[in-house]
Amino acid sequence: MNVGRISAIIAKESKLELRRKNALYGILLFCGVLVFLIYKSFNVLKGLEWNVMLWTTLLFCGINAIAKSFVQDGAESRLYFYTLFDPKEVIVGKLIYNYFFIFLLFLLVYLGFSFFFKTSIRDYGLFFGGAMLGNFGLAVIFTFIASVSSQSEGNQGVLMSVMSLPLTLPVVLLLIKITAVAMRLITDTSVGEDLKMLAGIDLLLTGILLLLFDFLWKD
Amino acid sequence: MKIAWWKIAGIVLFVYVLIAGIGIPLKPGITDVSPSQLKVGVSKSIQITAYNTHFLTGGKTRVWLKREDNKYLEASEVQVNTENLLQASWSIPVQLINKEFSIVVHNAKDGPFVVPAAVVVLPDSNSASFVTPVNFTDLTETDLKRSDDLRFPYRSILNETIRNTFFHVALWMAMFVLYLIALYHAIQYLRTGKKEHDWWSVSFNRSGILYGILGLLTGSLWARYTWGGWWTNDVKLNMAALAMFIYFGYLLLRSSFNDDEKKARVSAAFNIFAFVALIPLVFVIPRLTDSLHPGNGGNPALGGEDLDHTLRLVFYPSIIALILLGTWMAQLRFRMIRLAARKKIHIEA
Repeated sequence: MNVGRISAIIAKESKLELRRKNALYGILLFCGVLVFLIYKSFNVLKGLEWNVMLWTTLLFCGINAIAKSFVQDGAESRLYFYTLFDPKEVIVGKLIYNYFFIFLLFLLVYLGFSFFFKTSIRDYGLFFGGAMLGNFGLAVIFTFIASVSSQSEGNQGVLMSVMSLPLTLPVVLLLIKITAVAMRLITDTSVGEDLKMLAGIDLLLTGILLLLFDFLWKD
Repeated sequence: MKIAWWKIAGIVLFVYVLIAGIGIPLKPGITDVSPSQLKVGVSKSIQITAYNTHFLTGGKTRVWLKREDNKYLEASEVQVNTENLLQASWSIPVQLINKEFSIVVHNAKDGPFVVPAAVVVLPDSNSASFVTPVNFTDLTETDLKRSDDLRFPYRSILNETIRNTFFHVALWMAMFVLYLIALYHAIQYLRTGKKEHDWWSVSFNRSGILYGILGLLTGSLWARYTWGGWWTNDVKLNMAALAMFIYFGYLLLRSSFNDDEKKARVSAAFNIFAFVALIPLVFVIPRLTDSLHPGNGGNPALGGEDLDHTLRLVFYPSIIALILLGTWMAQLRFRMIRLAARKKIHIEA
């Protein structure tokens, strides 16, 4: 593993993203439309519903954003990377890039939700700290499933959502609980335990992702 | 033909589980005590409705009020109406007011059985000053001789559904073992690349999924009779359903490949990832929240009195039988896949 090469992959991913503007704008537009749709359907959204809708919206935006992470590399370029990089460098690069991307989407959805609805976050540190940990877990799961489903022939979109959504549940449940505490919707003195558990799940999933990607990458 | 002893053992054990699990009766228990208070006065009676008892044919039936300090007050008169219904009366002096008692019933056939905190003594305006000496006695082992019949324990609410332990709980445990075997083969496939490991892996996973479905169905049935609904918003149930979704996703993933080698590699990787992600799902999250399900939030599960020796007698064989039968099913599927591969026939595997 080499930091320079990893950052080369991150740079390549971001350049590709910025060059193919239609994909990026597509995702951003998707997020915007989804947030607006939720705004018009609920009109008033607060408390736990606000919290749950925020994470659900992020889930769908994140799935759409990361699904193309491996599909967009053609078979030829994949072979080319195979000769250049260690699989661990590829996956770490992609993971870091996807993490930044999903965090950006989270900020966007959050801003949209605070623009249209009144928010009641009391503890911003806890809210964003929990969100950073949770987004990382989501990024790991989505990256893994994207690499799995990109190898299949046909129905990649369905596979991506069917396989990743059930896996995200522990992360989402912990996220909802932590952010609900940050909004003082529930009082829980053991929120530190939840943060630790979320970090633990993140670590566990990252470890298994690093282990398994070698086998997925072999083509 | 070579006779596979473990298949025969699986069948024999499962038939034993069916016969013993359904055939052995429950211990006697009391379903209703009415009224639940005794007023002070002479020959005050309460009616006891019971289940699976032999009040008429089981020898002399005796009834006691039991105080917290293990002192017993025998009923002065016991009138047996039917096998399951009797009236017991006591003379209740004024000094017992506001005391709470358990009820103990005994006869030779049924053995002793208890309703804890069944009655409380209240004052009565007509006989407020009824005073008489009470002769509490200590009871010995011979007074409360246990019945020798083989019976499953009686638990209120659970009643006869306690037999579902042999199926519901055993199915989940067997499912977990099958998934573990499949996981082992998935890891072995990634290590060695032998396609037999992939075939074993998918075969065991399919047996596990079948057990998962059956486990959900038996659990749902059990929930209907104990909690009152086919499905409750209970974390353990929802996690179990999610685990099923993940394994269905595994089957869907396998069905979307044409290249067998790629299918095997990718689905083995997904199998390992899903199993690791399943651990927080099934073991960690349910402990975070309250749950009605046994084994959570202080609810009893497989321990102490809840799994007594008579239940173990059927429960453990049931787990072994289900694992053996599941392995057999997996072996049949494995052979089918291997045969199809030899004959170059395409099957969904």
